[in-house]
Amino acid sequence: MLLRLAWATLTRHRSRTLLAILGVAVSAAMLLDMVMLSSGMRASFRTLLLSRGFQLRLAPKGTLPFDTDATIPDASGVMRVLRTIPGVTTVSPVLGGQLHIVRGARTIAATALGVDPAVQGDYEITQGRAPASPLELVASDDFLRASGARIGDTLSAASGYDAQLRSFSGQRVLTIVGRAHFLYMPAEQRAVAIPLATLQQMQPGPATQNRDHVSLFMVKAREGEPVDSVLRRIETALPRVSAISTETAMRQVDERLSYFRQLALILGAVSLAVGFLLVTTLVTVSVNERLGEIVVMRAIGVARGRIVLQIVIEGIAIMVSGALGGLGLGLVTARYLNSILASFPGLPAAIDFFLFEPHDAWFALGLLTVAGILAGIYPSWRGASLPIAVTLREEAVG
Amino acid sequence: MLAALLIAAFSQSIDSTPPPRPPRTVAIDERLAADAGIHVGDRLLLTPTPGGDVGSAGSGDSVIVSALVRRRADPSEVARAEYRVRMHLDELQALIGYGDRVDRFAVSARGTAGTDSALRRINDAAFGFRAYRSRDIAVETSRTFLVVSRFHRAIGVITIVASAIFLLCIMLLKVDERRRDVAALRLMGISARSIVRSVMVEAALVAVVGSAVGVGLGWLSSQIINWHYRGVYRTPLAFAVVTPGIVLLAVSLSLALGLIAGFVAAQRLVHMSPLELLSGRREERSPAAAATAG
Repeated sequence: MLLRLAWATLTRHRSRTLLAILGVAVSAAMLLDMVMLSSGMRASFRTLLLSRGFQLRLAPKGTLPFDTDATIPDASGVMRVLRTIPGVTTVSPVLGGQLHIVRGARTIAATALGVDPAVQGDYEITQGRAPASPLELVASDDFLRASGARIGDTLSAASGYDAQLRSFSGQRVLTIVGRAHFLYMPAEQRAVAIPLATLQQMQPGPATQNRDHVSLFMVKAREGEPVDSVLRRIETALPRVSAISTETAMRQVDERLSYFRQLALILGAVSLAVGFLLVTTLVTVSVNERLGEIVVMRAIGVARGRIVLQIVIEGIAIMVSGALGGLGLGLVTARYLNSILASFPGLPAAIDFFLFEPHDAWFALGLLTVAGILAGIYPSWRGASLPIAVTLREEAVG
Repeated sequence: MLAALLIAAFSQSIDSTPPPRPPRTVAIDERLAADAGIHVGDRLLLTPTPGGDVGSAGSGDSVIVSALVRRRADPSEVARAEYRVRMHLDELQALIGYGDRVDRFAVSARGTAGTDSALRRINDAAFGFRAYRSRDIAVETSRTFLVVSRFHRAIGVITIVASAIFLLCIMLLKVDERRRDVAALRLMGISARSIVRSVMVEAALVAVVGSAVGVGLGWLSSQIINWHYRGVYRTPLAFAVVTPGIVLLAVSLSLALGLIAGFVAAQRLVHMSPLELLSGRREERSPAAAATAG
């Protein structure tokens, strides 16, 4: 009976109800988007960091990986020390640089990673194989597209350009042996990976210069070994590097992208408030219009609680209907907003700002339902508490 | 003559003692000074590698802090938490073993024509490097903010849609509340057009007053946002700016939405006959009756 009465009231003013549901749907969509934004970025970044099982990164002291051009000197020595630390199972050294690939009359610049192909965690081979000799490389789709090269082709690559001698420096002829998906690279980045020693030798500088340096080490801890303990051991053994755990990296990302979390919080709160206000206004007006009916129901013995419940059900019905509509709308808008933020310069292509997780949808729906209940309680209680005789007289006289 | 030469040689031998080298000076970031507790006049050791020592391989340099530098309002630097030290070019080249190389030159030219001409001539003559306009570099380095700006615009569009629906709903409720008044006016002979106009004027007033309050709130919010994010990122950059153009756009949009909402709501009302309005029929059925019928 209660549900039937609530349904009848809502269908009595169809356009008004539909408009309110539409308004709540837009608010719900915004709320869902903001809940997705506040948690999605972290979840996506964490997944990316742990995708290859490396829980620790070692960068030059005081820096984050690839945040500056600084490198870790004496890479071989650091490797030796790392291998003696209990709990460390795999160490993957990485050197970042730039290569100039000469293709006929043009030169293509590409981001180059010097890695140990046997333990690397930066790319996944999608076609062909990993480099097996010092003069082999794997390349990204975008590089292959831009250069027009194919697997099996040889390329002339240089790491620098000497403006005085007008010639390339650190030149090598490399063979493409595979196509790779680079996990941490931005979309449309032309990237290649070659063996670490090759890239180190190609670096510009005098022949006598020590080139045994890397940009970072990626470290895997033994399964079951607390990562924090391994991190502390590394910091003790290697005071001249910064050891960064996934949690530390997450904190740094949180700090840098705190703007988006704060924006999500503010806009989410505003969306919830707008939805709440909309339903409160609607229910209040609806109750004011039906004061006569309400007091008649009270006069024939319907309990105050049941009247309140009926009106609260109306508020919840609007909120839940709007929220369900808003779920679809929210997913569409999230996809659009994500496509905008995905074009952030330097952001890995695998990062999603808006990541749908079922608990986000439940959380948004729960918030809206609570808002719907709160929106209905005050006007319904006020309406159901009016003095019966006086209100009946006022309603009858008009 | 010989005596003069001897005196000169003697004095030369005295003067050949190397004069004490004036201390090298550097300027450091205000944020580095604040975080590390460094003051002007403090002596620092700069090394190219962490933990390097003066005199060792890859040796460092002892310097005195001569100035603190405040960061410019540069969007490309906002999210970067790195510290900066400014020093003389030759000293930095020597410190990091960079040789006689630089990363870039900044060139000043007279006027736009001078810039175009310099750009053309440098790029024609240069081999191995390229000249760019500062404006083009600024566009490239501001890409992060362009993305944020696009994101804000998209959020703005969603907000406008939500506001439009909210406004339409409110106007519909307001007009519905005055059903009986409107019926009385219609029965007195007031034309439908006059009623629509009066509703629209009311909607416009609501929109304008709402806009004025909104502009005030927006200005206040922008002050809070700037204060907060300038503190977070330690930059003089303005994150939110309320310009006359933005105010004009917001007020115009609000007015247009208000008028449309008022028009739609009023049209709904004037298309019902006064008797229907008074009796409340057409859309309205008693819920109790409906429930019984159901």
